Amino acid sequence: MTQAKAAVIRSDLDIVIARTLARDTAKALGFGAIDQARIATAVSELARNIFLYAGTGNITVREVERHGRKGIEIVCEDQGPGIADIDLVMQDGYSTSRGMGMGLPGAKRLMDDFDIYSKENEGTTIICRKWRS
Amino acid sequence: MDSLRIPILKIGDVLIASIQVALHDASAVQFKDDLLQKIHDTKARGVIVDLTALDVVDSFIGRLIADIAAMAGLMGTRVVLTGLQPAVAITLVELGLELPRVLTALNLEKGLAMMQSLTEESGDDAS
Ligand SMILES: Nc1ncnc2c1ncn2[C@@H]1O[C@H](COP(=O)(O)OP(=O)(O)OP(=O)(O)O)[C@@H](O)[C@H]1O
Ligand SMILES: [Mg+2]
Repeated sequence: MTQAKAAVIRSDLDIVIARTLARDTAKALGFGAIDQARIATAVSELARNIFLYAGTGNITVREVERHGRKGIEIVCEDQGPGIADIDLVMQDGYSTSRGMGMGLPGAKRLMDDFDIYSKENEGTTIICRKWRS
Repeated sequence: MDSLRIPILKIGDVLIASIQVALHDASAVQFKDDLLQKIHDTKARGVIVDLTALDVVDSFIGRLIADIAAMAGLMGTRVVLTGLQPAVAITLVELGLELPRVLTALNLEKGLAMMQSLTEESGDDAS
């Protein structure tokens, strides 16, 4: 197993760094071009949310294995304001920033597993995975 | 850090911009502003934005492209996107962004041909 790699999100430049890290890791793990684009795009959405709503946070990318199947796991953590109603933010079109409200539901569609853990005023952790076919 | 500026070329009455670097948000916004200003200054009839080198188009860039097309449209200028990679096109649709009102062509050459026929069709003769 390769080592986990992390990116700190503090500015919009870090969004590019995080998605490039995710793409490079996905490529090294043998994901095809379309999955690489899906994974990089999901990370771009999640990294931008950290930057916009929490200010700073971390994204960790690592290889995972389950029942003999290899995959990539992405953990996004921040100590920002948290999300009060997770069902609400997972709806297409819901946004508190006049965005398109596409980031979270879109990232979920692009990945295989997608879980949000959040507590108001404490922060948000999103864990998502994509499995290699 | 300064945002990287994307060069915008003018050929006849068409503007051509080719995005060759990974765009971070500030440089993407700068590009939109530069492009709209240049459309205004040159009164270009068409704009081709070549995205061949982009390997990620997320909701932010997607919306920016839709905004460019809508705003250029208000100024009477057609926008054609060229070179969208297949993986990028698939991801955009799965993400939920279909860019319904944006015209696309396979590559720059086909984009130029499309622009030609569009501007002829709309009956604007060169003055
Ligand atoms: N890390 C986070 N911390 C706190 N709130 C968050 C976080 N991520 C998302 N949210 C909340 O969830 C809402 C929906 O997020 P989502 O990414 O789906 O859409 P958006 O960011 O508003 O717009 P888009 O991503 O389409 O530009 C946000 O408007 C914000 O209120
Ligand atoms: Mg978002």
